[in-house]
Amino acid sequence: MENKNVSQNLYLKQFNQSDAIAYSKQFVANANDYNFQLLDNAYRNAGKAYAQIKIAIETNKCESEHCAAELAQIKQLKEAPQASLDFLSSLVAELSVTEESSFDPNNNYKYTVANSLMNGRPGFSKTDGYNAYLDLLPDGSQQIVFMGPAFKTTIEDPFTFEILEVDNPLIINSSALKALIDSETSLVVSTPDISADMVRLLTEIGTFSSDMIGEDGNLKPNATISEEFMLKNLDGSFDYKIVDLGNGKGKNVLQFDMNKIEKKVTPFISAEVAGLMSSEQDAVAAWNVYISKHTSEDEDEQMLQFAIGENFSWIYETDLPLSQDKKVLFESKYKQYFMDNYLKQFITNQMPTVKEDAAVFDLEEAKKAKAQKFLDDNNLN
Amino acid sequence: MGPAAIIGGGLSIASGIIGSIGARKRAKAAAREKKRLQGKLNSLEANRQEIINPYQDLSSMVSNPFASLSVATGAAEMQIEEADISLANTLDTLRATGASAGGATALAQAALKSKKGVSASIEVQEKQNEDKRAAGEKQKQDALLREGQRVQEGEAWEFNQREQREMQELDRTASLLGAAQAAEAQAQMDQTGAITGALGTLGGIAATPGLFKPQE
Repeated sequence: MENKNVSQNLYLKQFNQSDAIAYSKQFVANANDYNFQLLDNAYRNAGKAYAQIKIAIETNKCESEHCAAELAQIKQLKEAPQASLDFLSSLVAELSVTEESSFDPNNNYKYTVANSLMNGRPGFSKTDGYNAYLDLLPDGSQQIVFMGPAFKTTIEDPFTFEILEVDNPLIINSSALKALIDSETSLVVSTPDISADMVRLLTEIGTFSSDMIGEDGNLKPNATISEEFMLKNLDGSFDYKIVDLGNGKGKNVLQFDMNKIEKKVTPFISAEVAGLMSSEQDAVAAWNVYISKHTSEDEDEQMLQFAIGENFSWIYETDLPLSQDKKVLFESKYKQYFMDNYLKQFITNQMPTVKEDAAVFDLEEAKKAKAQKFLDDNNLN
Repeated sequence: MGPAAIIGGGLSIASGIIGSIGARKRAKAAAREKKRLQGKLNSLEANRQEIINPYQDLSSMVSNPFASLSVATGAAEMQIEEADISLANTLDTLRATGASAGGATALAQAALKSKKGVSASIEVQEKQNEDKRAAGEKQKQDALLREGQRVQEGEAWEFNQREQREMQELDRTASLLGAAQAAEAQAQMDQTGAITGALGTLGGIAATPGLFKPQE
């Protein structure tokens, strides 16, 4: 089944990034009205209402006993501008996540449209059929309503059975948004920077000695895994793998004890995953964008994976909170992702640390010598 | 087209909102990082290795090597029985040949002395063998004990190494957590500052036609 959020978000991303609309004769030829004037419209009658209530209190013509209701209304009106500023800035900050390079397109696409509208992007003006309102509600909260072509849905007319397109506005309430933010969750999920996390993790897993870590806290460019994780022969010499260079020549490369490395790495990966799981929606975003697809931090590669429909995404609306099975799967794949994309470079084609073992040699002779050494070491002669 | 026209209420108000957006994002990022680090710290603390007691009881490895020593009474009893039989036979012979009672007594004493000597010799040999076994056993026990201590020292060393590394990671994560908390607090202050600045213009809102002041 097609994931509408993915297809719509990918389309919007392309639409906003390309200058396709610049080639639209209709767009270029017409004036576009972006004056949504949210505050102006919301407070248009506020002054009048404020004056009427104030007069009622001062002339003792209140409808409620001791003017309690009127005083509460006055208080609400006085606090409303501050609440509007808080609400709008929180909302714009939340919606701006849709512009991040590793944004998970499984987020609700309507937020991407709302962000385009709030930033006055071409194609999202009043002229294009969009509108937005800020309403001051009687309970003191406020709501913003987004309407337009992207905020419609289809229904079947119960009498004529015709398929009709009707408005399905996106409504966000200020108190609901505040509750979400106060509980450290999000309207739109920002994908964690897995690349930065894993680069940092390399320095924490204990397979590199402290002198391999630079002053910036990252691994030095020439960092190598500690000797205790390298495979050795019975006599203590390194157990190299011989690589065929062609023309009868070969060279040694180090081999590593992968079981030992994995045993060492696992507790640190578990701790890292536990940190991610403290906000499960972050783990879902990381899963959708990186881990499930085994993609790199390359944005184009991520989007391609989504676009070709290879979709093993977890859905925010239905998969949260995450089941135990999914948590276990996440940790397993996270470890695999780390090993394949970050640790692998340190265990593949690593030159010997002993200078004389690093020289290029005759392949046949080396293979014979290695076989003979095996026989000698194991008393098989 | 910027957010000013969309938000309305005047340019300075829109600017105030825009100014606070960056601070909100920083506050949120710091809060998120704080939460992640707290989760990581909890996991690191919960999954720390168990403490190994470097002075754990090793008495089960020690046994008394002399406990198995036996007294060679069997051989002595056998010798005594043999001597008794021999004495009885000799006495029977003396009685049959008419020897005197004094000779019989002397013979019995000699036979008894001889029996004791043979028995003592066997006991000495057995004792020597037992001593050797006991000495060997003691060496074995000493070796086992030394091995046990060596293994234990290795475990203690490994424990210390891991403990040190885990402590480093715990310290590092806790330090990062502190930094994230400070960043969050700073970003919240910045956010409040930006909004307060915008509120300074709320007089502007009030004065804006159509807002608190009825439109003319």
